[in-house]
Parts: sequence; structure tokens; C-alpha cells
Amino acid sequence: MGKHLRHPLGQSVTVLVAAYLLIKFGIVYLPPLIGIASAPLPSSVVLQYMITVIVGLLLWVSDNEERWAKFKQPMHRVMVDPEQKVARAVLLLATPLLVAFVTFDRVRPSVAAPVSFRSIHPAPPGQIDFQGRTLRLTGLENPLRSRGSEDEHLEEGKRIYYQNCVACHGDGLAGLGHYSQGFNPVPLSFQDVGTIAQLTESVVFWRIAKGGPGLPNEGGPWNSAMPAWEDFLSEDDIWAVIMFLYEQAGHSPRTWGEEPGEEGGH
Amino acid sequence: MSERLPSGARRWPLWLGGIGLVTLLTLVSPDGILAQEISRSYRDFPLIGSRTAIWIAAEVHLLFAAFVLGVPMFAVVAEAIGIFGKDRKYDKLAKEFTRLLLVAYSATAIWGAILSFLLVTLYPRLWVYLTQIFAPSMWAYAGLFFLESFTLYLYYYGWDRWAEGRAKLMHWGLGIMLNVFGTTVMFIANSWLTFMMSPPADVTPDTSPAMVQFWSAFANATWMPINIHRIIANVVFGGAIVGAYAAYRFLIAETDEERAHYDWMGYVGNLIAIGALIVLPFAGYYLGREIYEYSPGMGQTLMGGFMSWLWIIQAFLIGVLFLTGNYYLWVGMGRIPGAERFMPYTKYMLIVLVVGVIVWATPHTMIASRAEIAAMGGTYHPFLGVLGVMSAKNTAVNIMILTTFLSFLLYRRANKEPVVEWARTGTMIQGVLFVVCAGIVIFYGIYGYFVTAIVRIGFSVYQVLAVIATIFSVVAIDVAIGRGAKSRGAIRWGQMPERSQYALFILAVTFTWLMGLMGYARSGIRQHWHVWEVVRDTSEYASTPALGYASQIISVCVLIFFGLVAFIFWVGGLAEKPVLSGVGSEGGD
Amino acid sequence: MWQTNLKVLAVVLGTVAVFTIVSSSIPQLQSVVPEDLSFSGDVTAEELVAAGQALFEGAGGCADCHGLGTRAPNLLTDEAGTGQIGVRCARRVTGQDCKAYLFNSLVDPNALQVEGYIPIMADMSRTLSSEQLWALVAFLQSQGGEVTVTGADIESEGGVESAGAAQPAAVTAAGPTSTSSDPVEIMTANACLGCHVMDGTGAPIGPSFDGIGGRVSADYIRQSILDPRAGASEGYEAFIQLMPATFGEQLSAAQLEAVVQFLADRR
Repeated sequence: MGKHLRHPLGQSVTVLVAAYLLIKFGIVYLPPLIGIASAPLPSSVVLQYMITVIVGLLLWVSDNEERWAKFKQPMHRVMVDPEQKVARAVLLLATPLLVAFVTFDRVRPSVAAPVSFRSIHPAPPGQIDFQGRTLRLTGLENPLRSRGSEDEHLEEGKRIYYQNCVACHGDGLAGLGHYSQGFNPVPLSFQDVGTIAQLTESVVFWRIAKGGPGLPNEGGPWNSAMPAWEDFLSEDDIWAVIMFLYEQAGHSPRTWGEEPGEEGGH
Repeated sequence: MSERLPSGARRWPLWLGGIGLVTLLTLVSPDGILAQEISRSYRDFPLIGSRTAIWIAAEVHLLFAAFVLGVPMFAVVAEAIGIFGKDRKYDKLAKEFTRLLLVAYSATAIWGAILSFLLVTLYPRLWVYLTQIFAPSMWAYAGLFFLESFTLYLYYYGWDRWAEGRAKLMHWGLGIMLNVFGTTVMFIANSWLTFMMSPPADVTPDTSPAMVQFWSAFANATWMPINIHRIIANVVFGGAIVGAYAAYRFLIAETDEERAHYDWMGYVGNLIAIGALIVLPFAGYYLGREIYEYSPGMGQTLMGGFMSWLWIIQAFLIGVLFLTGNYYLWVGMGRIPGAERFMPYTKYMLIVLVVGVIVWATPHTMIASRAEIAAMGGTYHPFLGVLGVMSAKNTAVNIMILTTFLSFLLYRRANKEPVVEWARTGTMIQGVLFVVCAGIVIFYGIYGYFVTAIVRIGFSVYQVLAVIATIFSVVAIDVAIGRGAKSRGAIRWGQMPERSQYALFILAVTFTWLMGLMGYARSGIRQHWHVWEVVRDTSEYASTPALGYASQIISVCVLIFFGLVAFIFWVGGLAEKPVLSGVGSEGGD
Repeated sequence: MWQTNLKVLAVVLGTVAVFTIVSSSIPQLQSVVPEDLSFSGDVTAEELVAAGQALFEGAGGCADCHGLGTRAPNLLTDEAGTGQIGVRCARRVTGQDCKAYLFNSLVDPNALQVEGYIPIMADMSRTLSSEQLWALVAFLQSQGGEVTVTGADIESEGGVESAGAAQPAAVTAAGPTSTSSDPVEIMTANACLGCHVMDGTGAPIGPSFDGIGGRVSADYIRQSILDPRAGASEGYEAFIQLMPATFGEQLSAAQLEAVVQFLADRR
């Protein structure tokens, strides 16, 4: 072992493997140890890094005559030495097989969807047509919060949720309803801090009322299966179920409190 | 690096274009027979289309032009070393450079003529527009070209006749004049193409070209940056091609004497190329700033718009250059007695370079499949995304320049044993300078993440200044230390493994390709304008093609260039045969 | 000999091939040439929006900066909680409705510089025709707002394509071109009260004109009009970019002095 590690070929292979482990796994798991977020690298970047490392290694083994000769020697031996017949045969068989496999792997049809960018929370319009009326979404508050009994509204919302929503969004509001696995995009989890907790109630109202068909372009390219509930529910029904969602998920809606200032763009 | 033109607009360096042709056309153009021609804006070129036709013509012309401008610069320097250093070797080298020049010169003119013919026939409207502004400079161009040619003939054919004493000095003066004429010719042609990039702000589509002030059009915003950038790039390019020529002669050499000569010549060519390459990014930075200054929109197209991926390719090519250039030096240490001392350190420099290349080529937006994007949570990597921005890249390239410079230093120092008393202290100071410089570069690189973009842009200036200052002061110390140094043994010229010579070929090809690429960038940012925001390209080829297509055209141009160069050198070799050595080499390629 | 030649050939071809392959394996982006647009007077909003969207995402180059929200304000989704451009456009500058604001932003972007960004945007009328500009305005309005651009807007601008010449109707109405010498009239014509309060009218975006003569000198007022970026009054630093720096060219010397004296007298 020690002998191999002193040989340029052995050293090169060691460095190569170490570099691969570092790039493939080190980058994913090491930064979190010191509290920095990380993620796996795309294969295109891994390939790019590995090629750079390989080129670097080749330069290293060949920039000195002695090292170069030593580096080539085992390969040369495998190719010509009569005693290395087995190794030679394995090599000559394995190399084309490897190439064949890589080629196959690259051209084989896959079900992977084309690369696309989907915005999960596309920006809402300023106003919508709701059942023939125009509703201004900007600054819109949930009218039920200032009217009637909160408990009654929650009770009503719960009833509506279990009649209409539970099949997809699930019992625990975690997006794990019975049908959820069949959809792309999957139904949202309301437990997630990234969903309704980030939105004003008016945005949630817009999403419920208009559903998948009302998503703007950037919400594509996959059609959300969410129905446009304005065809089935009344305005108060929707506001009630929204109250229920926030209550049950334990989030509070984003408010209009930080009223938009006068900056913004041209 | 500079040129070539793609898209709608035809650039035309029109290098050393056919004189008669230029004169004739400019005389005729402003009002006479071209009147009907104006109505006809474009003509198509069979098969490849007019955009590609003019692209190839301009680029091959430019490559030859860069070569015939770069080579005289160091031919003159080599001759000076020969005269004042009393070293016949350099004089012989200078003459050999010039011989290459002579044969490449006519090819330059031929391609210049092809370019102007194509421009006149394919883009008559643009041609007329430009002649209305630039006619006087075109006449001057023709005249200077004439002077340049005859200076070159005198310079080369008078070499042996004016070989001694005063006559030799006069001969050297001819070499200087050759450079002056050549550079002026280039400046003139540069003004035409930079005008197309950055016409003065008061020129609008309604401005009659006859009303455009000549001088304001001539000395436009990007003219001087391009001049400087091209002068340096020409030196780099000339050095690289000479290196490749020497490498070829080395490989086919039959005697040790020949091998030693061409090994040395290849070394000098490479030294010149890499040395000039180190300052080239600074010129490029200046050009980039001027482009932004002139039109932020144009700068944005270049750096962030549809050309943004081009910089990944550029990073890749420059990574190849750095690695190959250093590799050649390291392999070369094998022939220097005393270099063994430094050999163990090359691997650390290699590690720095590889890390530098990795950082420099890390894309900001990564190419990834849907699943990979999901895993990353977007196309920006949460951890390595920080390497995709300017701060990281500037830091990487400055460190790479510093490392390359260190390689040179070790190479220089390899067979010397300093005799001055303060040699140790001096070396320490050099080391400290390196460490401090690297510290400054890295500090600003990291600090750049914590400030706004506009402050960050300023940081790259500090980084660059630190590197330049270090290079100059370290060289100054090194020269002083080396004074009267003892030799550890003569360099064994010629004892070089063959693979190092192939590295020189890779360098030459990469430089050439990189010139093609950056020319595509420079010309392509005009997009669908012949003259930016003044003369619109309304032909069917108005759009700038994507990089993949461009890379094919660039490759074709590079191959045409090398094919012709090989032929020309072969022809030159036939004539020189008896001179070089008694044995005679069978040129051929 | 020939072996060497072949090796050299292989190295050269190999290097060139690697570069070509690498260049071909990255995303291939081609520049887009803007289509010439020509609309009749009864063009529909949908046609304008569609043409504007194509320009925005393609040849106009807008998406290079405005899509990212780092170099320039985000126009399509949300900008700092103020909503889409179609929603916020009418609120940006008092005295300019959504349409006028958007058009002016395109032809004179630096005068309407959004705070927090650096002035990198070009006058788009240098590259786009008036049809194209209005199509872009229509597209931006459609982002959360109502499209009010009509064929009439284009026709009123029709044929004016070159730089600077395209002064939008809105600005002319707001009127930098008054020849009056009465300070109040000049100030009205130049929409000063769009940002400054005087006698209870106007918007409190810039310092109030009430009592201004007691707070600052006439010289200071003159300088602030001619070179507003030189310094902001305390508390108004954030809005300094909104003050047009062009009054020095729009007002005659007599008009300027009339305004300065008028303000300086308001103690």
C-alpha cells in the first residue's frame, strides 16, 4: 500500500478519488457543519471540476521526466509484458464496455422533465373579477374578521375544508391528501412556513378563487390541478375557509401593515 | 485579443488591405457611381451567407495582421539586445523573426483585399456610409501601408549589408520605423471599427454622415482602449506563433545544434507571449470600463445579456493558457542545472492554479436538470454560488497571474547563484511582497461580498494595482540580486522532452482561438446595428449567432490561418535551407 | 517526419475540437432582432401587450436587468412590497399617470431614477421606435394594471423615432415649456407642487415651500433647482433622486430668478 502511495500513478488515483469525494460529498456535507447551507452540485459542474483536476494531475505527472517515466511504466507493462496477459485482457475488454455503458447512459430515453423555472408564488394581480364583480386585492382584508362570531366562522370554514379541500391538501393541512401523489405540482402544505404564512389573506383568496387555471405564466409550465373555486363557493365561504387554514396551521397572515412605500420601479 | 466580426455589422479592420483597391474605391465613392448602389443595401454570398463570408475574411485577415504587427516589435527588441549586448545569437533570432514576417506579410494583404472586396460587394450601403466619414483616413492608410511595406523590405534585405557599426544602428532605426508605421496603420483601422461600436453620442440615425466631425468619429470612446488592448495582444499572439514555429522546427530538427537553437527560440517566444499576457487583462479591464461608460446597455449585453456564457468559455480558455504556460516552464526546469531546488514547489503552484481555474470557471447560473435544480433550490448553488460572482473571479485571476509570475521568477533564478551580500534579505523581501500582495487580493475579494456593487467594482482596481506593483518591485529586486551572479551551469538548450513542444502548439492554438472568441464578443455586442444605434442592420443576417455556431466559424478561421501559416513557413524553409545548418532540414508541414 | 506532422496536426485539431465542443455544450443564446411594428389607429390592447411582451423578453433586452431584481427594479412580480409595475406605476410620481410615467421612464430613465439603483438604463428611444415603446408601456401596464395605451398615443408620436425627439404628451402637458414670468405660473407649469407643498396644496415628497425663505438662502434655493443632487434637505435624502435635474435647461434665467426670489421671500 505504502509503495503504491509513493508511486505517481497511485498518488494520482488517490488524489482523484479524494477530489471526487470532496466535490461530490464534501461540498454537500462539510459546510453545514459550520452552519453554512449547501446542496448537491449539478453533474455538469462536477464533471467540469473533475476534468480540471484530471488535467492538473496529468500536468503534475508529466512536468518531470523521471516522474513521467515512472508514471507510464505500469501502464506500459500492462500493455506489453507477457506476464500481464490477464490484466491486459480485462483492460481491453473493460474499456470499450465502459465507453459503451456511458454512451448508453447518456442517450437512453428518460422521463425527466425538461428544465424549467416555476414560481411557486407568482405575484397576484391588482384586481380580479370575482363572480362578476371587481375585487381590488391590494389592501383587501378578510371581512369576516371584523364581522360576526369568530368561532362560527371557523366552524363554517372547517366544514367547507373537509367537504372540498381535504382530498388533496390532507387532514393535517400538510398537502398529503389521498390524491396528492397524483399531481405535479403537488398540493401545497399549509404547515410549511413558506406558504400561507408568507401571504396576505387576499392572495390566498385569489389562489382559491382562481385555482390552477388562473395562474399567471410564471406559475407554469405545469398546470396546477387546483379548481377555480369561485365556481363552487361563495365569497364568504372562501373567507371562512381561509380563516380556518390560518387557525388550524397555527400561522398568522401577512398583514398590509408595512404599507408599501413610494419606491418601486419604472 | 481583439477581433473579428460576426453579426450584422461588418467590421473591418481592413488591415493591410489591398492598397490600390482602397484608394480606388474611396476616390469613387462619395458621390459618383455609387449613387445607385446606395439603394441596394445588401447582396448575398452563396452557400455560407454574407455574414459568415465577411466574418471569415475579417478574422483571418486580422490574425495575419496581428502576427505581422506583433513580430516586428520583438524583432526590434531582439536586434537591440544583439547590438547593445553584443550577442550574435539575438541578432540571428531577430532576422529569423523577420523572415517569418516577410512571408506572412503578403498573406495579410491578400486577406485585406478579400475583406474589402467582400465589404464593398456585400454591404455597399455601410461601405458608402463609412467612406463618407473616413475617406481621408483611408487615403492615409494606403500611404502608410506603402511606407510600411518598403521599410520592411529594406529592413530584411538590408540585414547583412548593414551589419556593422553605424550602418547597423541605422538598420535598427529602420526596424523602429517599421513598428511606427505598422502601429499607425492599425490605429487608423481601429478607428473605423471602434466607430461602429461607439459612434459619438451626437451622431444619430438622422445625422448625415457628411456632417459627422472627422476627429470626433476617429477618436471615439473605445478607440484608445482597443488600440492598447490590440498592441499588447499582438505581442502575445506574435510570441505564441513564433513559439509554435520554433516548436515545429525543434521537433523535426536533426542536429543537436538546431535543436538547441529552436528550443531557445521557443522559450523566447513563450516568454514574450506569457509576459505580455499577464498585462493583457488590465487592458481588457480598461476596455470594458470604457464600454460601460459609453453605454451601460452595451456593457450589460456583453456581461449579463445573451453573451454572458461567453465568459465561461473565456475563463476556460484562459485556464488552459495559464496551465499550459506554467507547464512549459516547469518542464523546462529539467534542462537547467540548479532547478532541482525549486522542483518540489511546482506542485503547490499547480494546486493554486487548479483551484484558481475551478473558481474562475464556476458558473453563476449552473446547468442542471430539473431534479438537480430542486435539490439546490434554484439554479444558484447555496454554497458555491459565491464563486460565481465577480469578486471571486477577480481574486482567482489575480492569484493565477501572481502564481505564473512566480514560476517565471523561479525559472530565472534557477541556474543563478547570487553573489551580492544582501541576496538573502532581498529574497525575503520578495517573499513578503508576494504574501502581502496575495493578502491584499484575497482581502478585497472577500470584502467585496459585503459592499454594494458600485464599491465592489472599485475593488478590482486595488487588486490589479497590488499585483502590478508587486510584479514591478519584485522584478527590480531580482535584477539587482542577479547582478554578477555565479552560474550553476549553462542551460542545456535542446534537452527538452517533446511533449513540452506540443504544449507550445496548444498555447498558439488557444491564443488564436481566444482572439477569435473575443472578436466575436466585441463585434457581436453591436447586435443588429452596423453602427451602434445609428445604422441599423436590416439584412437577413442581422442577429448575432449563438456561441455554438460562432465556435465553429472561429475554428474554421483558426484552421485556415494555421494551414496557411504552415504552408508559408514551409515555403520559407525551402529557401532558407542552406543557411540554417550544413545538414539541411526538410521543412514541411 | 510524417509522424511528427501527424502528431502536430492531431494536437491542433484536438485543441480546436475541444474548444468547439465545450462552446457548443453550454446554453445557446442568440441575439434577437426587434421586429418592426406598425399599428393602425384601432390596434387592440391585446396586440400591444403581446408585442410588448415579446420585446420585453427578447430584443428589448429588458429582462436582462428587470427580471432579476438586482440590477434594476423588478417589473413583473413585486418590488419591495409595492406590487407589480402595473399597480405601482401610477403612484410613482405625482402628476404623472401610469402611462406617462412608464413612457417617460423609457425615454428618460435617469430623470426617474428609482432609489437604490444605479443609473445604468439607456434612453430606449435610441433603439426602439415609438410603436415599440408604446407596446412596452402597454405590456407593463398589463402587469397588474389596466392597459390604457391606444392607437391614438402611437399616432400622436408617429414617425418620431430618433433620440430625444420623442417627448411624451404627458410631459408636455405638465409643461416645462411655459414662457410665463409669473413665479406661481412657472411653478405650476413645471409641476413643482407635484412634490412640494405650498399653502396646503401639493405633495409632501420634497421640502415644503411654506416658510422656505426663513430656512434657507436664495443661493441655496437656486443651487437646489439647478443641481438638486448636490445635497438634500434633512429628512428628504431618500427622495433626492426624484427631483429632476433638468430645470436649469428648461427655465430661462429670468424665470429661474423669479422663482428663486419668490421662494426666498416666503418667510
